[in-house]
Amino acid sequence: MNRRGFLKFAAGGTVGLVASPIIWNTLYDAVYWTQNWGWIPRIPRGDSTYIPTISKLCPSGTGIRVRLVDGQPVRALSDPGNPLSRGALTALAAVETQLMVSPARLKDPLRRTPDGALVAISWEEAETLLKEKLAEAKGSTACISGDPTSTINELLSSLVESRGSADFYFMPDDEQAALTAWDAMGGLGRLGYDVDNSDFILAIGANMLESWGTVARNRKSFSAKRPAGQDARMKFAYAGPVQNNTAAGADWWLPCRDGMEMELALGIAHLLIKTGHAVPSAGFDDFKAIVAEYTPEKVAELTGVDAARLTEVTRALAQAEKPLVLVGSSLGAGGGAGAVMAGIAVNMLLGRVGKEGGLVNLPFPSPVVAGASDYRAVRKRNLVAWSQSVASGEIKAPRVLLLYEANPLYALPFNSGMEEVFAKSGFKIAMASFLSESCAKCDLVLPAAMGLERFDDCYTPYGSGEVSWCISHPLVKPFYNSRPMGEVLIALAKELDVEVGVKDMPELLYKKAYSLGADFRKMVETGAVFQKKAGGAFSVPVYNAEAIKVALTLKKETTPLNLVPVVVLGMGTAQTGIPPFATKIIMEYQLAGHYSVAQMNAATADRLGVRKGSRVTVRRGEVKIPALVDIFEGVLPDAVALSAGLGHTAFDQFSRNKGSNIMTLTSITREPGTGLPVWSSAGVSVDKV
Amino acid sequence: MDYSKPIDAALFPEGCQRCSLTRFMAWMGILGIILLWGLYAAVRVLGFGLGETGMDDYFGFGLWITFDLAVIALGAGAFFTGLLRYILNIDELKNIVNLAAVIGFLCYTGAMLILVLDIGQPIRCWFGYWYPNVHSMLTEVIFCITCYCIVLIIEYVPLALENRQLAKSRFISALAHNFHLLMPLFAGIGAFLSTFHQGSLGGMYGVLFGRPYLYRDGFFIWPWTFFLFILSAISAGPMFTVLVCSIMEKMSGRRLVTWEVKQLMGKIGATMLLVYTVFKLADTWFWAVDLLPREGLTFDQMFYGWIYGKWLMWAELLCIILPVIFLLKKSTRENPKIFYTMLVLTCVSITLNRYLLTVQALAIPVMPFDAWRTYAPNWAEWGACALVMAYAAMVLSLSYRYLPMFPQEVKLNEGK
Amino acid sequence: MSEVIDFKIRWGMVIDLDKCTGCGACMVACQAENNLAPQVDASNKLRALNWLTVYRLSNGKPFPEHEVAYLPRPCMQCGKPSCVSVCPVVATDKREEGGIVSQIPPRCIGCRYCMASCPYHARYFNWYDPKWPGDLDRTLTPDVSTRPRGVVEKCSFCHHRWMHAKDAAILKGEDPMDLPDGAYVTACAEACPNGAITFGDLNNPKHKVHELKQSPHAFRLLERLGTDPQVYYMSKREWIRRQGDNYLEHEATGDNKKV
Repeated sequence: MNRRGFLKFAAGGTVGLVASPIIWNTLYDAVYWTQNWGWIPRIPRGDSTYIPTISKLCPSGTGIRVRLVDGQPVRALSDPGNPLSRGALTALAAVETQLMVSPARLKDPLRRTPDGALVAISWEEAETLLKEKLAEAKGSTACISGDPTSTINELLSSLVESRGSADFYFMPDDEQAALTAWDAMGGLGRLGYDVDNSDFILAIGANMLESWGTVARNRKSFSAKRPAGQDARMKFAYAGPVQNNTAAGADWWLPCRDGMEMELALGIAHLLIKTGHAVPSAGFDDFKAIVAEYTPEKVAELTGVDAARLTEVTRALAQAEKPLVLVGSSLGAGGGAGAVMAGIAVNMLLGRVGKEGGLVNLPFPSPVVAGASDYRAVRKRNLVAWSQSVASGEIKAPRVLLLYEANPLYALPFNSGMEEVFAKSGFKIAMASFLSESCAKCDLVLPAAMGLERFDDCYTPYGSGEVSWCISHPLVKPFYNSRPMGEVLIALAKELDVEVGVKDMPELLYKKAYSLGADFRKMVETGAVFQKKAGGAFSVPVYNAEAIKVALTLKKETTPLNLVPVVVLGMGTAQTGIPPFATKIIMEYQLAGHYSVAQMNAATADRLGVRKGSRVTVRRGEVKIPALVDIFEGVLPDAVALSAGLGHTAFDQFSRNKGSNIMTLTSITREPGTGLPVWSSAGVSVDKV
Repeated sequence: MDYSKPIDAALFPEGCQRCSLTRFMAWMGILGIILLWGLYAAVRVLGFGLGETGMDDYFGFGLWITFDLAVIALGAGAFFTGLLRYILNIDELKNIVNLAAVIGFLCYTGAMLILVLDIGQPIRCWFGYWYPNVHSMLTEVIFCITCYCIVLIIEYVPLALENRQLAKSRFISALAHNFHLLMPLFAGIGAFLSTFHQGSLGGMYGVLFGRPYLYRDGFFIWPWTFFLFILSAISAGPMFTVLVCSIMEKMSGRRLVTWEVKQLMGKIGATMLLVYTVFKLADTWFWAVDLLPREGLTFDQMFYGWIYGKWLMWAELLCIILPVIFLLKKSTRENPKIFYTMLVLTCVSITLNRYLLTVQALAIPVMPFDAWRTYAPNWAEWGACALVMAYAAMVLSLSYRYLPMFPQEVKLNEGK
Repeated sequence: MSEVIDFKIRWGMVIDLDKCTGCGACMVACQAENNLAPQVDASNKLRALNWLTVYRLSNGKPFPEHEVAYLPRPCMQCGKPSCVSVCPVVATDKREEGGIVSQIPPRCIGCRYCMASCPYHARYFNWYDPKWPGDLDRTLTPDVSTRPRGVVEKCSFCHHRWMHAKDAAILKGEDPMDLPDGAYVTACAEACPNGAITFGDLNNPKHKVHELKQSPHAFRLLERLGTDPQVYYMSKREWIRRQGDNYLEHEATGDNKKV
């Protein structure tokens, strides 16, 4: 072979290959393969429809606009047409559609077998069992509801009452303390806050831009009155132990130890009285005598809030036209009534009770279901007081325990007695949408249809400044084998010969609408919302100095280190677990791998001999949780901040193996006077590993 | 058959001795194990995705890019020695140019192998040709590297065809002959392509105006960064070739290239290194006192802790300044210990330079509220590099055993 | 360098950092809107695929002088993007009216050069194939294709929403190139309950962003690098504005604008 021959061979081969379609077709096909591997899901095709409704997962029933593609809900968007949230969306409401198909969603009724496993059964079996157990449990049935805004509670309470029992409870929340306080101060109805119309808000402990009260509405109000690029028409101060999300939006942050909200409020009252801001009412002199000793210096010592800053904020508060003081607890439950009383007293001093943009009195809803206890009566009962009594043996455990959208085993402090209640109760039934820790311990688990699959409602969530009522209605058939619990309960009542007075949920809601004067049909068709201004005369509250004085004797536990819970709504609630998309919004300073992150300021870390990234255990009594240290100067000295909402042992892979549940570090004491179980302050120690 | 020789002796280059086949197979077996480990890493990466590596969204470039840039710089001996031998006719270099070509071939094919793993969509690797963005330095690099890789294959093939048994075939012999005649042409093309892509590799970093560690403007981007990369490659390339040669001598126990040729290579490399050092110091100075302050940054802000500490930069500079001094001075150059140490230091400095440009540059937080992040390659990345090194060692071992790489070998080992 | 195009419309954001409280609603909405796969373990933030990330800012002072702020970081849609010129295969470009920097996953070869170039870390890589466990893929939206492993992706300013807004305008007989303020907003801007994100055409005086971007409190991230971002931030607090760019000690905040 010569050179020419070689070149011919090489050139011919190349031309031949290039001219054939082999290379080119393969290359072009490669583009499609690599984009469309069979294991990567395709996006849907189809027409979109948008339907306004509410999120039943979001505790305050945020308005959402659901986008359906070919009948499948794909997105929960903000709904500017909703007059309450006015286009504000929470990070939890935004994932309503994803949660409907999340791996934690309960698909079938589950029954516990003798070997302890939960196995799927048919609805017929489940309903038979349900009826059987409730029929047997006359005189000994208890029920816990985790959704205080729903009228389904009336069905539940009617059923419980029909069993000859009064043990129908709500999961603890801030309204319990508020109602107790409002009662003590002479209020007649529910305590409301006209956030929308206030021009200066001081939130003491209440995480109002993140989780407290009608959060979407609060935030819309915040947004509207503080427009970008313009002067704020509303000032905002936050008192709490950590620079949380609410503090990030505040003009002032008052670093106040967790559990010391009452002392702080009294300090403000002291300054207001001193500067001549005092709207007198019955009991004023006694109240004045109590607050006399709450000088800024003493308050600084008790709460950690610098005297000068407190004075500055109090002055601004007094100068505002429509100031409003809110008191809440950082966990959204477990706060004492004393703190709320002190908060009410401050509002009274400012003359802000019953005024626009101030504290308002809201009427109790009247029941529409026959045999149901009224709201006030239910609120007066205390779940934790009951569970502790059951645990100690004072009260007999119920033969049937019914959980409705509640996860008490996760959400309550370790000494709530709930585990004993579970151990002692005869037969435990859960009605829920997700496999929570509590569901996992029940004998019968009924998969509940979710807000977009059922008729339900949301009546005046706590924190509202007016009466409001929204309904959710089925946009799609219930997914999987779930059913709307309202219908299941009505059918059950019929089986048990309990007269509830309605034949289905639409009728129940229609009756409710009628009692309120709302237009049910229009609400279903257009997503309209019923609103009614608070108003009407009510007796002027009194400075209940005696109650305040007694409540002040509550022993707070803030040493050696004050435990500071950080609540982020986007991380889900006890009922939802951590939603699928939320793992990405949980930040490095909240969770590191499988560890909770303990945030503390540098001075505290120095004192403890730990650094960023140190492995530690946070300990209270016998309970220890592992954590990694992060340095954050937005935490009070001698305090350690930990995220709530972690440490789930049930639900799905998005919730499990992520940090520890801080509720295990909290413990219940009783508030003197009111007898309210409280767990708003906890002292923990941090040990280096 | 001569039983005193290994059984594959008929394949050895004319007049050269090699170890027994058993020993050779044992050595290949060791390399094979490393290769398999690397292959496992590669399969995982290709099968599951780049999540198998230690890289992340902050360190999109890591060990692999460092490795690629380093071997491409160290493999530059091929084009530079070729250029000197075939175009500038420095005849002594014929004694080492074969080795330089083989090393170049191995470095570039190895780099290509790593790149196939490193890009997320290897099946789309041809997009660089089909949808080129002419503004991208990387496009230039892709074009030049792949073209030059072909050139290196063409340079390697005739050597492979010179195997004693293969050469007996008339066709193969004619083929090898034809290739040989074209060698100056390929050396020229190779030099042209290499110069461009080495320069573009530097430009690739220099244009990243979002990265204060890398960005250079005005004169310092063109032609400065281009020549910095070219110069660093052509100084380290010849030195690396000498180092490989000496390692082969140590392992085989045979002399392959004369000390004079090595000295010549070292001297050439050192001369280039001198130019590089001057340019590099000027570049660093300009960057620290002019460019960084204009971006609102200080020299100190470019470094962090010990992992990204200043010592790295001082080490990089020291490892080129010392070789320049000791290699250009005849008396120290002629001391083998000093000579080899300086070659090693140069290669270390060039590798360190590529590491700093790749990893340190990405570790620096540019947004003031961002934090320093650290990167450590994981086993899969090391495995893939080991795969390439094992592959290179295998091919080099085979080439040495069966191909006439060293024209001086027979003469240097006479009487052994 | 690619040439810089003068667009008639420049979509942009002004994010008021005094209003952002870091709740994460924007990040959640973004994931749902753009079909980002959920991640079981997203605690390694350098591997968490998010087109929009919220950073926590600190004024650096010890307690009690400490202040905190949150900064949502979408793609800056730079006027002079560092990523576009470096992409070897034109998988990202800034050519279309509106000035949104495109990212075309089917074209991307996954070399990650664009990620190395972007000082904002706005670009994310698919380290693995995306997974929607169980039935979560039922909530995919029809607007944005799913991406395979091995490609880079980033915020597109919900480009599909612009397409929908233009279609809607055409159907109504209006000029699709002169949309009224609010006709096209991104999912994050829509979801923000605090109204921290304002979206619109920076060039259009009828749009709110046009006015906001001229506020003395407005700034852009890393302006002195010359990226010319289409995302503005604003804060009344000087310490926040100062963290928008790198400053030497003697330089005053805002000096970067002259460079």
